Amino acid sequence: MIRLKIDELKPGMILARSVHNQQDLLLLEKDSSLTKKRIWMLKTWGIEQVSIKGTSENEGTTVFEAELETKDTIETQLKAKFADVIDDPVMEEIMKAASRQLQKNLSDPEKENEST
Amino acid sequence: MNPPDLDRIISRVDDLPTLPRTVLRITELVNDPKSSARDLARVITDDQVLAARLLKLVNSSFYGFPQRISTITGAIVLLGFDAIRNLLLTTSVFDLFANRRKTSLIRQEQFWDHSLGCAVGAKVIGNYLRYDKVEELFVSGLLHDIGKIVEMIFLPQVFKEINDLVKDQNILMIAAEEKILGYSHPQIGNLLAEKWNLPPKLVSVILHHHQPSEAGRFILEAAIVHLADILCRSIDIGYGGDNKMPALDKTAWDNLRIKPQVIESMLAEINKEFDDISLFISYSP
Repeated sequence: MIRLKIDELKPGMILARSVHNQQDLLLLEKDSSLTKKRIWMLKTWGIEQVSIKGTSENEGTTVFEAELETKDTIETQLKAKFADVIDDPVMEEIMKAASRQLQKNLSDPEKENEST
Repeated sequence: MNPPDLDRIISRVDDLPTLPRTVLRITELVNDPKSSARDLARVITDDQVLAARLLKLVNSSFYGFPQRISTITGAIVLLGFDAIRNLLLTTSVFDLFANRRKTSLIRQEQFWDHSLGCAVGAKVIGNYLRYDKVEELFVSGLLHDIGKIVEMIFLPQVFKEINDLVKDQNILMIAAEEKILGYSHPQIGNLLAEKWNLPPKLVSVILHHHQPSEAGRFILEAAIVHLADILCRSIDIGYGGDNKMPALDKTAWDNLRIKPQVIESMLAEINKEFDDISLFISYSP
């Protein structure tokens, strides 16, 4: 577990501890992965530091656990999601189009990672 | 006849949240052919929060007006009465639920994103079909799953059981609801929509978004929201409560007359518009 400043957070990082605001309202649960939008929300709540899963190693390098999406995970997740409806040719078309869109998002660094 | 639990919710219908007085008053004015833009402006400016939001929204990239709109009357003239009513309904509805502290922010946020994604999706599909009242579609998309919020608030224990069943068996939320409750979120949403005296079209979309072919004269609107739901789920916009795709209603799909080849460009547009608007009307508890 590593404490990181809010500006050091990156999408895909996973929370090691739940984050609460000053009134102790739960903002994000432990084990949630961060997205651009969630980091932005934490900032707007005035959160300065959070605990992220990962380990500090020697020479100042840090290894983070992260749920990063790849072309393969996109395909696998889509197939599982569409398993019951894939006999419908229109749904098959939607699945293929969705796969292309999700891959486009992947290569665009500005696009937030919406996965949980 | 309604299943017993649904009757229990109906018996508590008076406990269901009510809309803010201003929005009710605005609905009355919009329905009254004699009211003017000035009447409407007066009611809106009385509510500073609503007024500020309205100006923020009309000046957002979502509407894309070239000039800055600085007065409420200006916004009303540009957008029209119905659009204003829908906008205010949009921004008010989620406030009602946001004040509840029973669920964590993350769950509410993801639900909000799913609803907002469907709203954007319905608007994009509506534009493609040259539907003349896309704002109505936007609100329909936003509210289609409102029954799930009622479950979250009124049946927290059952809601948890439903979610556990969804996870255990990897099924659609509506299937888990049927197994546990014997009815599902469209019927619950229908109750709330009727209590709020929402327009019949909106009530019908909420009730029939899983089987739009049963929506009678509102089949087109219900089919649009049905497809928007499927498209948003396919590209992971928000989280509708499960990781499965609902079956496409064949009759409704045929009714839409959309060529499968255009789906990809629709998805791209939904994706982009969702990003643009989500920061403007983002979920803020």
